[in-house]
Amino acid sequence: MLSVLIWVPIFGALLVALFPNKLPTGNVRLGALFISGFTLLWNVFVLIKFDVSNPGMQFRENIPWNETLGLNYQLGVDGLSILMLALNSLLTWIAIYSSSKDTARPRLFYSLILLISGGVAGAFMAENLLLFFLFYELELIPFYLLISIWGGEKRNYAGIKFLIYTAVSGALILATFLGIVWLTGSKSFAMSDISTQSLSAASQLILLVGIVVGFGIKIPLVPFHTWLPDAYVEASAPVAILLGGVLAKLGTYGLLRFGMSMFPDAWSAIAPTLAIWGAGSAIYGTLTAIAQKDIKRMVAYSSIGHMGYVLLASAASTPLSLVGAIAQMVSHGIILAILFHLVGVVEAKVGTRELDKLNGLMSPIRGLPLVSALLVLGGMASAGIPGMTGFIAEFIVFQGSFSVFPIPTLMCVIATALTAVYFVILLNRTCFGKLDNNLAYYPRTFWSEKMPAFILTALIIFLGVQPNWLVRWSEPTTTAMVAHIPQIKTTTSPQIALK
Amino acid sequence: MVLTPEKQTTKLPPSTHEFADIIHRLEAGGSMLPDTPENLMQIIGIYKAYAVPMDFYWRDLLYIAEQVFLEPFPFFKYFISDEYLQRENHYAGDNADLRIWRGVGTAHPELLAFMEKGETTKMPKLLHHLLHDRINMEFAEACMRAMLWHRQMYAPVNQFDAYLDSDEYRANADRAIKAYFQGNPAMLGLYKLFPDMFLEQCRQMSYYANLGLFWEVMAPVFFEMSDIYDEGGFKGVPDAMDFLVNGIFAIAGRPIYHHVYIKGECYEIIPKSKGFTWLYEAALPYVEAVFYRTAPFRGTKSYNAQAGQVPEEQKDFHFGILYADVFPVGTAGIPPTLLMQDMLHFLPQYLIDYYQQHCRGQEDILIQLGITFQRSMYNVTSAVIQALRTALLYPLDDPNPKHLQANREFFEMQLNRFCRPEYNMRDAARLRQIQTQDYR
Repeated sequence: MLSVLIWVPIFGALLVALFPNKLPTGNVRLGALFISGFTLLWNVFVLIKFDVSNPGMQFRENIPWNETLGLNYQLGVDGLSILMLALNSLLTWIAIYSSSKDTARPRLFYSLILLISGGVAGAFMAENLLLFFLFYELELIPFYLLISIWGGEKRNYAGIKFLIYTAVSGALILATFLGIVWLTGSKSFAMSDISTQSLSAASQLILLVGIVVGFGIKIPLVPFHTWLPDAYVEASAPVAILLGGVLAKLGTYGLLRFGMSMFPDAWSAIAPTLAIWGAGSAIYGTLTAIAQKDIKRMVAYSSIGHMGYVLLASAASTPLSLVGAIAQMVSHGIILAILFHLVGVVEAKVGTRELDKLNGLMSPIRGLPLVSALLVLGGMASAGIPGMTGFIAEFIVFQGSFSVFPIPTLMCVIATALTAVYFVILLNRTCFGKLDNNLAYYPRTFWSEKMPAFILTALIIFLGVQPNWLVRWSEPTTTAMVAHIPQIKTTTSPQIALK
Repeated sequence: MVLTPEKQTTKLPPSTHEFADIIHRLEAGGSMLPDTPENLMQIIGIYKAYAVPMDFYWRDLLYIAEQVFLEPFPFFKYFISDEYLQRENHYAGDNADLRIWRGVGTAHPELLAFMEKGETTKMPKLLHHLLHDRINMEFAEACMRAMLWHRQMYAPVNQFDAYLDSDEYRANADRAIKAYFQGNPAMLGLYKLFPDMFLEQCRQMSYYANLGLFWEVMAPVFFEMSDIYDEGGFKGVPDAMDFLVNGIFAIAGRPIYHHVYIKGECYEIIPKSKGFTWLYEAALPYVEAVFYRTAPFRGTKSYNAQAGQVPEEQKDFHFGILYADVFPVGTAGIPPTLLMQDMLHFLPQYLIDYYQQHCRGQEDILIQLGITFQRSMYNVTSAVIQALRTALLYPLDDPNPKHLQANREFFEMQLNRFCRPEYNMRDAARLRQIQTQDYR
């Protein structure tokens, strides 16, 4: 059942690659759209079949593969990964839909995207460390190619930077995985076989730091984030949607799955550091976004800020905060996708992304009124305005984390306020004001171009007013995960005072 | 002293004005709008589209001035009576005083068709009104109010304004007000308490009549121009302008008056015998008030007194169609949108086809036609400038260089209005943009 989610896109990628040379781009796109649409429907089917009350792994598949390596084809989903899977297939479909109908070298483009989709799905479902790593590395090269072939002006620089950072991340993760298996003396890489309880606190801590840094590059956390603005900005809109919407989630997912649930004791020891780190990331991301003059860069930095909340919530590791972390991952994925999509439309129509040149796009006849309206909505969702999914996720995160880390939580609250600041700057400069009469002869936008944004908007608002659909999947799993984590020692004085 | 030969003296040295090209064109009998077939096609097409709603505007303006008058609750003032739709235009049809348009004197057939069906389907007038499937009469009222607010701008040439403040006008108005509210003690009591309240309303009604009478002339002029163009009569933009100039002179002496009909009786608030004429009391104030000045758009300028965006002096107002930014048409706070929507219903097919080929085609037709309208109003203003030059100064082929110099100074003075640096007037004026076809 789960294998379908991996192999349909991967074989689909092969199929697309084998499409006849003469096939027009539009048809290649339709083919890819059909394949990803099927995957999406299958994912909905999995969601329906998913037993929400069961905290453990479901739909498990286990096929022996390479016994000597301890590598088995072991899949399963739980409340942590099911939503990530859904997000992955949804955003893949949206990315393909929002790609231009005259993409150059379409067969390569769409097969790479499908390959990524299959790889990411595999990583989210893998119950075997080595298998996870295989899938994790699978998206490395396709993303590098997607950035450096179809990207913007500085695509080569951005592509290489992305490649190096991600490769280092992969190396760190692999090293840590090998360390885990050797130190624990486990027979295979299967997660169920590994027990870290026997390890000394010091070695647990070292391994956990390896994981945090490895995945921290991917999330990205602040000192390791410098690949992100370049990669997001230089990537074309569909690739940016996948990068921000899906790839960043792989980082936080890895952190939760391999950091928190495998090293509960070490996790609780470093949790205060992580919380401050997350809050610092959030503040840094928002402050840097305020300084940007390029709307895509603003959105890219907003991503850093929002992922900081996930780290804070994971560090707090209360049942509520973990639900919040997952909700934030999903809602950030949707919101970032709509923002990147709309920024892509604006860039395609207006021909610039610079705040100083954009103006008056809300103008109903000559501007891009619907696109701007949706951009306002996306910005508000991102800034955590109630009624939309961003607020739900952030509020759960704050509510769940405050009892454990009041100061970092307050810092994150300040960060959301600053998020509103730079989104208002962005919206004010882009959507409001008046059009420049010498330049404002923008081409019209078609309904098909706005469709992805409408779908995402519907989702943002639906999950914002009916948040049960956002959290119901992960509640039992997160409660079970948290049960293993020792009480986090709160050390700073204000927290004692608050008790 | 050696006199230069006469032929050469008729030519002045080139102007050094910023808009020297346009001044030379005006001196050669041209228009501010460049003479291209595309421009001619656009302006004539838009005259046609403008004339049909204008045919409604003038009828309804006169209906309000003469019949609705001081109705305190004029709920149905846009529901023009059949009598006013059948009213013969004085300048069209077989019974015309001075026949400008060869067509019918009653309401234009396209207008009647629109009033019956609108953009939707045939249904009662009230429903058309409530569904906003109608002529935006508010625009005509806004023009009227612009003229009212900018009163006194031509004093002492303009006699109409002065008359509105005279005792004679007060007495005439008093008679009409008392007759209108006869048997209505509440309103009569109010009138007793606050006589100026009704008097000012009455002045406004006089401006309704003034503008209605102005447009009664312009509608047949534009209809006729459209017909002449269809017959292949105009060879270029200057021809179209000359037709307007000739029309202006033919009509210049027509009377401007305000009659009110109360219970079948006519009250002459401004009698025809006062001798107010079309050119000086309606046309010139209209051009000044509506083409140049009007009121700042709510959606463009801040009325904040500290911000100082709106001029203190009315003579510095520069918000008319010659300065208007048409790109935000369709947005909140941009009054010309009303007119653009009105014209949209009556575009001739050749203009629709033309707009389809440019910019966003069908989607932004409202703005494209707005810019065409701006071009056409520059042509109308050119006609007014040429007419004024003819009336006040010298012919263009005058052999006397002093006379030519006077003409040039007059033209330069007119164009200087588009170059003034105060309040960014210079950037607001669209004269430079309409010189090219790229502005659409």
